[in-house]
Amino acid sequence: MPLLFGQIRKGVEMPKQETIRITFSLNGKLVETQVQPVLTLLEMLRRNFSLTATKEGCGKGECGACTLLFNGFPLNSCLKLAATLRPTDSVVTLEGLENDPLMGRLQKAYVDEGAVQCGFCIPGMVISSYHLLKHHPNPSSAQIKEALSGNLCRCTGYSKIEQAVVRAAREK
Amino acid sequence: MENPISIHCPDSLDDAVAILSARPGARILAGGTDLLVKHRNGMLPNLTDFVDISGLRLQEIERESDSIIIGSGCTMTALAQSPLVADRFPCLAQGAIQVGAFQIRNCATIGGNIANGSPAGDTIPAMFCLDAMVRIFGPESRRTIPIAEFFTGPGKTVLRQGEIIESFALPDRRTFGVFFKLGERRAHAISKVSISVSCFESGQGRREFRIALGAVGPTVLRCRKAEELMTAAGWPPPSADLVDKASRLVMDASRPIDDIRSLKDYRKKMTGVLFIRAIDRLNARSYQLNNSGEE
Repeated sequence: MPLLFGQIRKGVEMPKQETIRITFSLNGKLVETQVQPVLTLLEMLRRNFSLTATKEGCGKGECGACTLLFNGFPLNSCLKLAATLRPTDSVVTLEGLENDPLMGRLQKAYVDEGAVQCGFCIPGMVISSYHLLKHHPNPSSAQIKEALSGNLCRCTGYSKIEQAVVRAAREK
Repeated sequence: MENPISIHCPDSLDDAVAILSARPGARILAGGTDLLVKHRNGMLPNLTDFVDISGLRLQEIERESDSIIIGSGCTMTALAQSPLVADRFPCLAQGAIQVGAFQIRNCATIGGNIANGSPAGDTIPAMFCLDAMVRIFGPESRRTIPIAEFFTGPGKTVLRQGEIIESFALPDRRTFGVFFKLGERRAHAISKVSISVSCFESGQGRREFRIALGAVGPTVLRCRKAEELMTAAGWPPPSADLVDKASRLVMDASRPIDDIRSLKDYRKKMTGVLFIRAIDRLNARSYQLNNSGEE
């Protein structure tokens, strides 16, 4: 039976519990906060830090809307408990890449190619695209598809998104 | 309202095992890609504690005398990118890279994939083919179990409460192998049928074979009769007839059921088809030149 939105959130909103103090690097700065034991990294970013670029789509690690860079790798932040973060861990969200030239180029390419419709998947899409271009500046079509295979988009049909990544790679 | 759940992030195996032993409702949290989804879907009613084992330094892949030791905390991405794994165990590298999508592979661990005990786990057929030994750390002692004896049913293993898979020991030998899976789509698909075929040189023109099937039985299954036939026939296989005969033995070894993902008859048939494709791939000139198994 499909769960309603409010029911899905129940697992996350735990009753009053002891909170845990964590320290980690967020967008290049060492930060400290208090979290409940079962609070996802995604929820923590949105509630404790008001960083709302990272979205919750499915909450099950399938849609990729919550993708961010964890220790340099794309990760589904809905499947990481905030309490497990350590001082050596680095989290980079889309907000942390605001002034990054590559991210700027990607965002412009997404707009120019008309790759954004409703926009909900886009924060995750551009993070995955960013990681790809960081490591493969001239990706093949297969590499683009592979890199974005964990990000679902229900509007665009993907081809414009792929073209946007190609354009961002070309316009260095 | 459900009971509050606690979380522990121990720094040593001893501490982790102590918490797990003291708290019967504690569950090991590794990559979290299955466990947190189950929790969210309300499938863990007796859960009291998460024990995060990411701080136990179980992520290494290293050589130890005549074995390669793969830490249970190794992620799918780490396995897929390891030169040692690519060189020795191509079927495992291919299994790892077909799990979930990139974001999932960056946190999902091989220990989790094995301990979950799903017959459709994509690293399990390869681990059968590679004669993996499971090294378990428990409250009293360590024990080592052959992978074939580790699973007792769908989602069931010999692991007892308080025990943690520390690592896997694989014989250090260069194997040739492939892993194929059939799913609804390429990424994020749970296998309907999977196969790992692996072999190593055992003499001039001879190869010893291992064949294992996923998602077509209560656990991953070895196809010993087909292995014997392929091993006895020599390499490359003398005829297409022989490979056909072996493919029928592979189909006979499968014990599929109808379920949400696929149908029994289709699954059985596809085990044979995938086996023939696997042998073709192993025998292809491109494979001989490049042991990565990629097209």
